[in-house]
Amino acid sequence: MLKINNLCAKVGDKDILKGLNLEVKPGELHAIMGPNGSGKSTLAAVLAGRDSFEVTDGSVDLDGIDLLDLEASDRAREGVFLAFQYPIEIPGVSNLNFMKAALNGKRSHQGLEPIKAKDFLAKVKECSSLVELDGQLRDRSVNEGFSGGEKKRNEIFQMAMLEPKLAILDETDSGLDIDALRVVSKGVNAMRSSERSFIVITHYQRLLEHIVPDFVHVLSNGKIVKSGGKELALELEEKGYDWLKEPSHDTSNA
Amino acid sequence: MSVFTDKFSATLPPPTRKSERWKYSPIAKLLNHEIEISKASAQGLNGWPESLMPNPVLNLDAYLVVFKNGVFEPTLSDLPVSDGVDCIPFSKMDQSGPLEFSNVYHQKEWIGELNDTYRQDGLSLHVHRNVKVDRPIVIHHLTDGINVASFPKHLIKVEEGGELNVVIWSSATDRSSGMYNGLLEASIGPNAILSLEKVCNEGGKVFHFSHEHIVQERDSKLKMHTFTIKGDWVRNELEIISRGKGTDSVFNGAYLPLGTEHIDNHTTMDHTSSDCTSSELYRGIMYGHSTGVFNGKVFVRPDAQKTNAFQQNTNIVADRGAAINTKPELEIYADDVKCAHGCTVGQFDLDALFYLKSRGIDEKAAKALLVEAFLADVLSSVSSTELSAEIMSLYTERHGW
Ligand SMILES: Nc1ncnc2c1ncn2[C@@H]1O[C@H](COP(=O)(O)OP(=O)(O)O)[C@@H](O)[C@H]1O
Ligand SMILES: [Mg+2]
Repeated sequence: MLKINNLCAKVGDKDILKGLNLEVKPGELHAIMGPNGSGKSTLAAVLAGRDSFEVTDGSVDLDGIDLLDLEASDRAREGVFLAFQYPIEIPGVSNLNFMKAALNGKRSHQGLEPIKAKDFLAKVKECSSLVELDGQLRDRSVNEGFSGGEKKRNEIFQMAMLEPKLAILDETDSGLDIDALRVVSKGVNAMRSSERSFIVITHYQRLLEHIVPDFVHVLSNGKIVKSGGKELALELEEKGYDWLKEPSHDTSNA
Repeated sequence: MSVFTDKFSATLPPPTRKSERWKYSPIAKLLNHEIEISKASAQGLNGWPESLMPNPVLNLDAYLVVFKNGVFEPTLSDLPVSDGVDCIPFSKMDQSGPLEFSNVYHQKEWIGELNDTYRQDGLSLHVHRNVKVDRPIVIHHLTDGINVASFPKHLIKVEEGGELNVVIWSSATDRSSGMYNGLLEASIGPNAILSLEKVCNEGGKVFHFSHEHIVQERDSKLKMHTFTIKGDWVRNELEIISRGKGTDSVFNGAYLPLGTEHIDNHTTMDHTSSDCTSSELYRGIMYGHSTGVFNGKVFVRPDAQKTNAFQQNTNIVADRGAAINTKPELEIYADDVKCAHGCTVGQFDLDALFYLKSRGIDEKAAKALLVEAFLADVLSSVSSTELSAEIMSLYTERHGW
């Protein structure tokens, strides 16, 4: 499904991703862990098409499509979804209008008619109850005045609405209390299927008790420095990241 | 001397860039124009362009009063309006003459003198005591022709307890050029309400000057909106004088110029009496190589204790070539007052834009959503949803969202 090959990206003069390789097959859930500042959010943003990052080398292939060649909106229409670490508040844009525009954008890409109002509302009801947000989205602007937990649940709601092929969750667990974590995990698990893949970025092992990964990777200084099964997460919890850290300065030409 | 002043003489001199009030809206180009004084007579539908409707807001159930190139068009207008309202063009008045006004301008200027000298016609609109006018009155000004000039002036008096909604809509055909110089003087009596929407949707190359001068008496309410949908060169000037206790003045505006359009909004809110509130919100998005000016003066005079005045001008510069100069000017001479103001110039929120795009909304649609949100606070206070919907759809159509 997804093949990332030697991905290098920078912002301004600062190299952040330094030759990252990753392959994700349909239905797999990959966890990416790593210390703060290692480039996890950058990877997520580069995959989703944020153009403030410059890709300097490498390729990303999603089912035969060169992802790096597409605008962010077209990547979403091809099935990429990013749950933001810090969801954005957009005053004046209603949650429902936002989701309707998103859904219809995708549908027009697939040659489908805009969704019928009744079907749309039914879908909203179904997806919002999945993350226990039912009735709380109508008449409110996108993320405006939402608590931290509500914002994260709204991300999962949007994921459920858009039914992506590849979902990237960036620290969806951060700032959640245990109840909210349970709700969010339940939503993610309900979405798991043999056709949908996940990249779950997290700093802590506790999320992976609820959302069990097939693979765990450690990202450090812009590269994947270790990969393993779900037991790697436990090992990281115990030992921290220091034993895996690459020196942060470039040693390749030493 | 110039081509223009040779034809249109005045005792006051035309403003130059040395005047602070005209520094960012120089009129040199106008002075080189061969504009004629329009002496046409009414032509009715025969003289009306096919591309436009005499009624600019078809969905709005309103009384329509139409002027073309400054001349009243009786056959296209719905006069008289309901009982308790005298709504008569000056040209149709008997010896009673137009309303007496005691409005005092902060400054007499060349542009106003031209209107006084060359005025073709105007409307005298008198709402009697406690009369609530049943429908809005839409005054439609059309400019159609090469180098034509119109100089309308409207007088509006709402007596104690009265209520009135007026829409002043100016349009121009794409072939048109010349000048629109429109004045409006209004007096809002005690406890009376005036809602006024001014919409400029002019094609062609017309120098548009308009000046509203509004005096509010005790406990009166003003709700004013100034929308510039389209206009090559537009200067909107609004002066509000609160001279009774407990008045409330809301005045909002929006502009989204394209190309090389120029838009200037000058506003003055003069609080002379106590316990009054004013709230001003102007929002603009500057596209292409457009230029803009916002100048908002608020005076709080020594007797205007317990004034609550709010002013905000928010601008988005959407393209590199566009620019806007924004300036609040607050002069506060009373101590027990609340005044808040903020003028900002920024870009589209890139985080919000990326968020929308990451959900599959394309750039154009994403920007349209952000624009709609940006304008929502201005549009939501418009007197009727029919009118606000029409305005939004004209913006949408023009910008191709
Ligand atoms: N827009 C930016 N400008 C400058 N530096 C940035 C920017 N975004 C991220 N960085 C830097 O890139 C590095 C990786 O950041 P990030 O991808 O957010 O890490 P993580 O999500 O793993 O904590 C950090 O050193 C961060 O400061
Ligand atoms: Mg991060």
